[in-house]
Amino acid sequence: MRWEHLYQKTSKAYQSGLLPIQNLMSGTLESLADDVSSMGSDSEINGLALRKTDKYGFLGGSQYSGSLESSIPVDVARQRELKWLEMFSNWDKWLSRRFQKVKLRCRKGIPSSLRELLEQNPGKFEELERAPGDPKWLDVIEKDLHRQFPFHEMFAARGGHGQQDLYRILKAYTIYRPDEGYCQAQAPVAAVLLMHMPAEQAFWCLVQICDKYLPGYYSAGLEAIQLDGEIFFCAPAPGFPASTSASPAAAH
Amino acid sequence: MQAPHKEHLYKLLVIGDLGVGKTSIIKRYVHQNFSSHYRATIGVDFALKVLHWDPETVVRLQLWDIAGQERFGNMTRVYYREAMGAFIVFDVTRPATFEAVAKWKNDLDSKLTLPNGKPVSVVLLANKCDQGKDVLVNNGLKMDQFCKEHGFVGWFETSAKENINIDEASRCLVKHILANECDLIETIEPDIVKPHLTSPKVVSCSGCAKS
Repeated sequence: MRWEHLYQKTSKAYQSGLLPIQNLMSGTLESLADDVSSMGSDSEINGLALRKTDKYGFLGGSQYSGSLESSIPVDVARQRELKWLEMFSNWDKWLSRRFQKVKLRCRKGIPSSLRELLEQNPGKFEELERAPGDPKWLDVIEKDLHRQFPFHEMFAARGGHGQQDLYRILKAYTIYRPDEGYCQAQAPVAAVLLMHMPAEQAFWCLVQICDKYLPGYYSAGLEAIQLDGEIFFCAPAPGFPASTSASPAAAH
Repeated sequence: MQAPHKEHLYKLLVIGDLGVGKTSIIKRYVHQNFSSHYRATIGVDFALKVLHWDPETVVRLQLWDIAGQERFGNMTRVYYREAMGAFIVFDVTRPATFEAVAKWKNDLDSKLTLPNGKPVSVVLLANKCDQGKDVLVNNGLKMDQFCKEHGFVGWFETSAKENINIDEASRCLVKHILANECDLIETIEPDIVKPHLTSPKVVSCSGCAKS
């Protein structure tokens, strides 16, 4: 059901002519279709006569990829979405019987419009949102909201949708993991997730990244990243003499 | 134009609480611009500034822009290594960031000293002075006293936005570092064999000596 809904939303926006071709693939439908106000009062951004973004939603700045990028024809993009929707509906079967095909399709690129994860814990996000949160973290999070991807259409406006959603998921994480709280390095990760999916899914994705894939990277003591850093510095680099004197390990 | 005789490369740290304007100060100093669109610093960032100190001296400043969030304090020992000086920045509109200044100074002094065991030169920057809320630093005498007590070589009211006092603050820090370096050389001197002090003997090459 969820995928069908998304698909309808995508095609509706496309038919109504609201979306240029590139943006069909960018996963920023909502901000373009029904949130004109999110551009807010930002002078530099308003100064741009046309709100022309690259396919990732950037209006400018160092991340802007320009118009040189190759784009896939719409009918190819649509074919891929349909194939992926079909795969999602029989996911287990596809993984067990036609894994090579799944791999091939992954390598061709997962359509951005489908890059959401299924909800992992229904109702939990809302519960976290209702909790008040520790002012110590909220204060720091608020200071960072306008400092993530300022040239991205979602995050350009102070208090716009992007910044609001960013606040919601970063705050929810501090309640979900009060022992870890908020680390500044989480904000850009969360912002990128929001470029691809709604806040609730982005939150659960962030949880996966912070707890499963990079445990300890964002913790209060930053233990895991320090450990990885030392391993990196001690690893023998081909062509270089032993790097011990330059390693941070020597400083401890 | 004659090539400069002396080149110095100094690593300078820019530290202070989150959002006080460390990155903006560096951007202003190195790239001569200011933007309200900037990104929170994660971990550490770098910039290089070249100063033509005098006709014979070029000073290269490697500026380390260090993330202000408290938990990155776990990494500062690594970031501080071999620095020759530092700016500690606070935001005049947020008194809490001034209260953190002593904490940053202690962190620095506990983790970093010059080869002769002395603390590195540190300049205190009272940033965002363009915002007109600088009740904190209205009392210059008090600030002088604070700097003396906490071992700062000087302090400046700065604004990255309006480009106020940033070059001056940097010149002050570099001046102290250069002076420190002279001291350093003098301290180490007894152990150094100075080639120019030994009388230059005119020795013919070994091959000639044999003949």
